[in-house]
This record gives sequence, structure tokens and C-alpha cells, in this order.
Amino acid sequence: MKTIFYSIALSVLVAAGSSCSKVDNYAAPDVTLKGVVTDAATGKSVQTEQGSGTRIKLLEISWSSNPTPFYISSFQDGTYTNTKLFAGKNVISAEGPFVPMVQVDNNGKIIVDKSRTVDVKGVTTVNFSVDPFLRIDWVGDPVLNADGTITTSFKITRGTSDPNFQQDVSDVAVFVNSNKYVGNNNYDNRYTPTLSGSNASSSVGKTVSLTTIGGPLPGKREYFIRVAARIAYGLNYYNYTDVKVVTVP
Amino acid sequence: MKKYTYIIFAVLFCWVSACKKLDTPPPSIVQDADIFSNSAGIQAYMARMYAELPIEDFRYSPARGLNFFWIISPFSAVSGEALSRDQNGAMQENLTFDSRPTTWSLCYTLIRDANYFSETLPKYASNYTPAQISAWLGEARFLRAATYFALVKRYGGVPIVDKVLQYPQQSIDELKIPRSSEEKVYDFISTDLDYAYTNMGESNQVGRANKYVAAGFKSRAMLYAGSIAKYNNINLTDGGGNRLCGIPAAKAVTYFKAAYDAAVLLDGKYSLYKKAWAAGDKNAQYQNYVNLFFDATSPENVFVRQYHYPESVHGYDAYNVPRQLMGANGYSSEINPTLNFVEMFDGIPKNADGTIKTTTGGKYDLYTNTMDLFANAEPRLRATVILPGDAFKGVNIEIRRGIYTGSSAGGISPLLPAGSTAHYPTDHIIQSANANQTPYTLPNGTTMNPAGLSGYFTGDGTCSVSGFSIRKNLVPDKPTSEVLENRSDQTWLEMRYAEVLLNRAEAAVELNALGQNDKSYLQDAFTAINQIRDRAGANLLLSPADLGDINVVRTERKKELGFENKTWWDLRRWRVIDKEQNSTIYRTLMPFYSANDGKYFFDARLDERNSRYTFDVRWYYEQIPQGEIQKSQNLIQNPGY
Repeated sequence: MKTIFYSIALSVLVAAGSSCSKVDNYAAPDVTLKGVVTDAATGKSVQTEQGSGTRIKLLEISWSSNPTPFYISSFQDGTYTNTKLFAGKNVISAEGPFVPMVQVDNNGKIIVDKSRTVDVKGVTTVNFSVDPFLRIDWVGDPVLNADGTITTSFKITRGTSDPNFQQDVSDVAVFVNSNKYVGNNNYDNRYTPTLSGSNASSSVGKTVSLTTIGGPLPGKREYFIRVAARIAYGLNYYNYTDVKVVTVP
Repeated sequence: MKKYTYIIFAVLFCWVSACKKLDTPPPSIVQDADIFSNSAGIQAYMARMYAELPIEDFRYSPARGLNFFWIISPFSAVSGEALSRDQNGAMQENLTFDSRPTTWSLCYTLIRDANYFSETLPKYASNYTPAQISAWLGEARFLRAATYFALVKRYGGVPIVDKVLQYPQQSIDELKIPRSSEEKVYDFISTDLDYAYTNMGESNQVGRANKYVAAGFKSRAMLYAGSIAKYNNINLTDGGGNRLCGIPAAKAVTYFKAAYDAAVLLDGKYSLYKKAWAAGDKNAQYQNYVNLFFDATSPENVFVRQYHYPESVHGYDAYNVPRQLMGANGYSSEINPTLNFVEMFDGIPKNADGTIKTTTGGKYDLYTNTMDLFANAEPRLRATVILPGDAFKGVNIEIRRGIYTGSSAGGISPLLPAGSTAHYPTDHIIQSANANQTPYTLPNGTTMNPAGLSGYFTGDGTCSVSGFSIRKNLVPDKPTSEVLENRSDQTWLEMRYAEVLLNRAEAAVELNALGQNDKSYLQDAFTAINQIRDRAGANLLLSPADLGDINVVRTERKKELGFENKTWWDLRRWRVIDKEQNSTIYRTLMPFYSANDGKYFFDARLDERNSRYTFDVRWYYEQIPQGEIQKSQNLIQNPGY
């Protein structure tokens, strides 16, 4: 009797122990995907804001023809990187303040599709070349005035000649913030000058100067300045310049 | 032997006849016949559908969704009408709170109930008159349309389900219904409401719809559709050419006309509440406006949701009474109207740019009482907002930021530079951290608490954080012992005739702007707006030309419907809220007592708590819950999520 009992107990233990050996041994994601979104005409990266600006859309078609999209937000300088992806076949495109890479007409037909199918493995670099809605260029550096304000000069031009993306410029702003992450999602509206309505739409192609509002800026610190403008299209993404620093003594 | 034959026959007989009765529905489960064969059953079915109708009432907040008791993040503190200590920024509706069902799934549950009702009722038609049948079918269509409206205003185009879906008779793939275009959903709503208008009677029980309610809802829905057509520039088109987000601009005229025509149908059937109103008497006009929210016989109530303690309750009074009238649960003053809201009204001193005037020549104006600043305020403002020092429940609501002890020779200069979000300097200002105050001895020997009984307290937020407190919808004679959570049962006015007039005026002004002149639209809007202003005790428009700017109608709407959970949706459909809430800090008005003058002065400033509001452009179309897309992969997510 005892022998039977022990042999049953032993076999249960063996069964339990051996079934435990089936651990989830799938390798952790270690593939890197990185790149940059650049302006096709100038070769410079397309500046954006982090979180609500440019993002990269991945459709992994290794398993399903109708996958749920996966997104990677880009940095504010237009580069992006993700170091924890699984290897796989992906259809990759970018969304942001530029002529959409995938366009559909009113009947839902895809008329433009510049997305790319890429085998993502190891360290894969995918760069995109796009036409931004607007191109904003500095005209000289921002100037600290005698009265403690800062005047910024810039020029806005159209980045595309596609007639579908010539909507009026709805907003222009010289965003001011106390750290380098500056943009429509992160700025100090006490000092930031803005243009809207006809002032904004008539600003294209001209050199425009805007001076910070709210009186003299408090001293002994740095201000991070970035010019932005947007057209009334889609999610109203802003186009940006890069960031410049002004030190107020 | 024969005995056995009899026994066998007897057994067989009993057996067979007994079998017949085995296949009966369990008596403990309510059957269709129990509900649909008598009008009491129909009433019960309707009661539940109305209770689940997705309207943003006393039990709604974006943080916690529909029909939930705990409203400490009030909707009005998301739209910029108010500030609240528990809601410190912009947001879209929370997808899931505490694993409660999403608005999406709640709506489709109700749509199924309405469809089930419409398909089942005709089977019991012999029990009723044809008039009853058609009225009820119309009512079910009204409920379905109102539910679709709740969906389309959030998500844009959604799947149209116009019959009861059957599983497993229909396959899963058949049930994965894709989204229809936004335009088709609005047209579907319009068709349902037209059906309801044609088939329903002139009157119904309180809290249920009649044909004019259907028309009123149509004016609301079509106004939304027209605004989307005119102002939206977001586009999402699926592979079949259905525009899921956005409506072609060419449709704007059609929808605004539909809104206008539907609003006109209510003409003469309802009227503005003026029972206690008297021309030229501001006090009577104020009292009239307060009463309008509590008079069950008001001719202005188009569609209401009733509550009744103890079965069906909310906690609006407990969460929102001023601090000094706080109930035993310890909640108070969650809704504190912003100065931006107050500044829209007439009868207060203003600067050239429309902001409130509190200084002259760079020095603060002094007042004996805090209410002196509002001596000529528009009655509607007093009835909507408790101004500092105004009476409520027989006491004066004392709101004071602190006592200024500095010299007052030559006047008092502004305490902070314009646009500052800094705390006030502590020298020369005595303030209080909470309601346990240490009285301060004034130069004349009397003592005074640094802060008012209802705030402002610097340490905790349980006070009026904006310098104002809400009055609208607070029961004016509720004893403090009953100011408790789940103890309030005042009626929610979901649609007032004032809104219908405003729908009509807005549609008319939009039609005029779009070049339509088949009717004298501007004149009609002028009459409607002046009706509202006259009742409110506000300044009247002088001529129809004053309506050239669409913002006149919009501001009137914001004032009249403030704190009725409509403004956020309005700002959203006008596509202006991303500009209005763009790193925005709302304004507050802080009353100080100057010890040396023995008088009050007011400081208009940005919210000291520095709550910034930014509306993300993506929120014009809310995110479809990811779980719904996993269930039905044909659903396309809205842009940007």
C-alpha cells in the first residue's frame, strides 16, 4: 500500500516538475528602428513637437493583413528611435506637419502611397523625405532689446506646391519657454506673441518680426525660442524652426 | 389482467398530459408578453430607457462618464466656465473609469433596447389602439436618435444598427459592422426624429418625449451637423469612400435650414419662463431666473430628467454649495465660475477690452461692500453665479482673499504685475491657510477673519478658488442637514425653450452668413436673442445689424446655457476650443479688505493655482475605445490616436 502511495506521489511530482520546464523562452524584443524625417527640398530634418507632432506608423504584416497600428513618436528635431521592437515585416509611414504620405480621395481610393515595406531586424534605419506644409527660416538671431523684451525675425514660405495643401496660415507664434522643450504643447503664454486671422494668413513670404509680450522678461536666466506656424489642415500640426537660446542677464 | 391495462392507460394518460406543461417558461423570469401586453409594462420599459439615455446631467463628468454619483471633477471645470480644485486642466471624456462600461458600449446597449422595442411591440398590437402603437414606436425612435446623437458628437461616424442583431443566427463577420460616414449618421438621426415628430402625440408624461421634444432635439442635432460642415477641417475617409470624420462644406446650408425649421415647430408650444418677471425690476428678474430651474410647471421645460429621493438621486448640492454652508459629507464649492465667464455679462464696470474694471489710474477702486462692484449686474448673472457677498439661503456668502495692511495713502497700486501667476507677496497681506482662522485686529479695534467664510484659503482647496461660487441649479432652500451626497433630487433641465430659441437664432445667423435670403433670417434671430436678453434683464440688441458677428449669438448661448453641460460641446463643434484653450490660464477675481481704508478692493488675476488648459486638436473626434476595435476590427480609429 505504502509503495503504491509513494509511487503515485513521485509520479505527480515528476509530472509537475517536468511541465514547469515549459517557460516562455521567447527572446525579449531587441530590434532597433531609427531614422529621421527630412525636408525633401532642403535635406534638413522637419522640426516638430514631441508627443503631438510627427509620429511613425508601423503596420506589422508578418502575422495579419489588417494589423493594429503601432506608433513611435519622434523627437522634436524630427528623429526617432525605438530599441525594443520585435523583428518582423512592417509597412512604415510617417504622419506629421507635412504632405501626408498616404492620401485617399473622396471615394476612399488610395491615390498616393509612399509608405515602405521594410524587414525590421537588428538595427534598421528608415529615413523619410517629405514636403513640409510650411518652411520657417530664421532671419538673423533673436535680439534682446534694451527694454528687456526679445524680438525675433523670421520668414514663412510654403513647403509644397500641391494645390490641396495651400490652406491659409491660421496661426503664427514665437513660442517662449524656460527649457529646451518648447512648442505649442509646452510654452509660456505670458510672453509668447502670436498672430492669427488675416495677420497670420498674410505673413507668408515676408520677413516678419515679433516681440515678446507681457513687458520685460525676468532676468538672470535663459529663454528658449522657437517660431511656429500652421495651416488649417487635418489635425492642425505646427511647423517649427529649431530652438534658439537667448540669455537675459 | 384488465386491471393492468387500465393502470397502463392511466399512467400513459398522466404522463402525456403532464409533459405538455413541462415546457413552460419559468415564472420567475419576465417574458415579452408580461411587458408588451399591458401599458404598465410599456411604461416600465420606457422608464429604463429614459434612465439610461446618454445625456450629460447631474450625474455626468468627463472624468467618470455617464450616470455616476461622484461628481467632483465637474464638466464646467473642463470647458472654462469654472475652476475646480479637482479638475486642473483640459481633457476629453475618460474612456474607462474603474472598469465601468464605456459611453460607446452604453449607447449601443440602449440602441439595442430601442430596436428590440420597435420590433416586438407590433406583435402585441391587438392590445392597444393604433394611436398608442404609433406614439410608442415614435418614442423608441426618439430614444434611438438621441443615443446616436450622443455617439456622433463624440466619435464622428459610427456603425448604424437599425435592427436587433442576432447571434449565433448571424455570423461574427456579419456583425462586425463598419462605421458609416458622419453625414449618414446625422441623416439617420434626422430621419428618426422626423418619424418621431410625425407619430408622437402633443404631450406625454413629464420626463418623456412628445413630438415637440423630437423637433427640439432635431434642431440641436442639425445645428451640430451644420457647424461640422462649416468649421471642421479634419478628414478621415475609409476605403469605401465613407467620410467617417467631417461633412462636406456644401451640406452646411441644408443642415442649418433643417435646424432652423425644426426650431420653428416649437413656436407657440413653449415659452420662456416669466412667472415672477417684471419689466424694469432687477430683483424680480433675478428671482424669476432662479425659480425657472425649480418650477415643475414651467412652460420653458421642453425635456427634463426627474429625480426623486431616495430611489433616484444625485449630489449636486453637496458638491457645490459654498464652503460656509458645507454639508456633513465635507464636500463643497467644486464649481467656481471663472472671471472669464462673469465678464461676458452686462452691468459690471469694464475696461475698453471687455475685462472687468477694478482700478482707476493705476490704483485700486475701493468699495464699502463686495457687492457694490456688482450693484448693477445683469439679473441673470446673479441668478447663475453667487457673487462675493451676495445672499444665498439667507446668509451672505463671504468671499475674501485676505486683509491688506499696507499704507493706503495715495491709493493702492496693483499687488502683482499684470499677467502674473505668482502668489501674492506676504508682507502687508494677512491671509488664511484654511477655515480655522485666527482673527486679525483692525486699526479701529474690531477683529476680522483674514479670509471670508467661503474662502479664499491658501492651504486647502475647499473654498471658492475663483472668487465666485455657483448658484444655478442649487436648491435655494435646502436645509444644510440635507446637503449630502445622494440626497439631492432636483430635476435636470436637459432642453429648455431658451436653447431652442438660441438654436434658431444661431442657424438663422449662419444661414444669413451663407448668403441665404429666402426668409428674413437676421430679423428672426434678432427677435429671438432679444426675447432671451429681455427675460435675463440684459441690454437689448439695438438692430439686426448687431448680429453681423456670429460671436454675438455664441456669447449669448454661453451665458444662457452656462453650467448646463452644453458649452464644451458648443466650443468643440465651432472648432474654436483649441484656440480658446491653448496653454490658457483662466482668470479669477480676488476681493481684499484694506485695513487702513476699511474698504474692499478687487484684484483680477490669472488663476493663482496655475492650472493650464490645452485642448488637443485630436479631441475633436474622441478616441474609439481600443477594446471595441479589438472586438470588431472593421472599426477605423479616429485620426491621431
